[in-house]
Amino acid sequence: MKGEPMSRLRVTAILALSAVVLAGCATTMGAGAYAQRGLELSRYRTYDWGPADALPTGDPRLDKDPDFRDHLEGAVEKQLAAKGFVRATQETGRPDLLLHYHASIDTRIDVGQTEREYGACRNGDCQSWVVNYEAGTLVLDMVDAKSERLIWRGWAQDSVAPMLADRNRMRQKIQEAVGRMMGRFPHR
Amino acid sequence: MQTILAQGKGSRSGMVVMLLAFVLSACAVKSAVRSYAEPGADLRRFHAYSWGPAEILKTGDPRLDSNEIFQRHLQAAVERELAAKGLAKNPAVPPDLLVHYHASVTQRIDLSQHEPFTACPDCKPFVYDAGTLVIDLVDAQTGKVVWRGWSEGNVDGVLGDQRWLEERIDRDVTRIFARWPH
Repeated sequence: MKGEPMSRLRVTAILALSAVVLAGCATTMGAGAYAQRGLELSRYRTYDWGPADALPTGDPRLDKDPDFRDHLEGAVEKQLAAKGFVRATQETGRPDLLLHYHASIDTRIDVGQTEREYGACRNGDCQSWVVNYEAGTLVLDMVDAKSERLIWRGWAQDSVAPMLADRNRMRQKIQEAVGRMMGRFPHR
Repeated sequence: MQTILAQGKGSRSGMVVMLLAFVLSACAVKSAVRSYAEPGADLRRFHAYSWGPAEILKTGDPRLDSNEIFQRHLQAAVERELAAKGLAKNPAVPPDLLVHYHASVTQRIDLSQHEPFTACPDCKPFVYDAGTLVIDLVDAQTGKVVWRGWSEGNVDGVLGDQRWLEERIDRDVTRIFARWPH
């Protein structure tokens, strides 16, 4: 057939494009939480931010970033207010809960082979590609201020390269991360 | 099996090949449990244990780093096993055995399907999170490790789900201590 080589080329181009798009999607945000067994939230009402995390973020791009911090703390405070928690003041006295967060970036590997999934492999000449991506992990800890025990930890993970390049995207991702991890936090 | 893989033609058998590849890849990374005992060590001479200094090494996954909820579950599982072996945790008795553990997570690439004998031309390398849990029992007097048990396996998705993680801890700790010599 005359037109075949051309159309095959076009198909390949489309597949290559969708591979790129899918690679972006392959690292959609993951989020979750760990809770102390038998956690009774009715015991807690007030909270405050604990001393800054001793662990470095593992990446200078997130260290001492006031914009990142402001948006993160703001998002967490909003979620906690919606769940009936109050930030400790002079009137309320010492907080029941201390909050810590920790952000880090690790290089991870992903293997893709979209071509095969689309059935476009012929004669076994599929190419698999290995990509490096930077996975950011945000961890939010809630510590019982009296016993100093960790009672809850929320986490969210996503590819960070697009956020580090775009402030608005980072803000959106912070909102999404906090919303999703706090969605796992029980109401009082 | 080899012939089935080699003969794969058309989309249906392609699917079978993919399925087989999936099964094979799952087999390649199933968890393993091992242990090592100091030659001549007699674990029966130990009666009281305590936890050694807390883990400060990074685990390789920020979700597990200084995660006390994970640590408490792991310690409880180990304490159950040690109690079943007749070892007591009594603060009034000076311990003759110190218990340490280390959990770590590393991303690994499994290329085994590219070995020629699998005859699987369109198999792809397989990336997964390999988790290792090491439990060390140390003679409190000499400071020497007298017994080490560990488990290793694919923990993809496990760390993100508290229940799954706790089930895996319980299972692996039980399997590690099943290798205890007496």
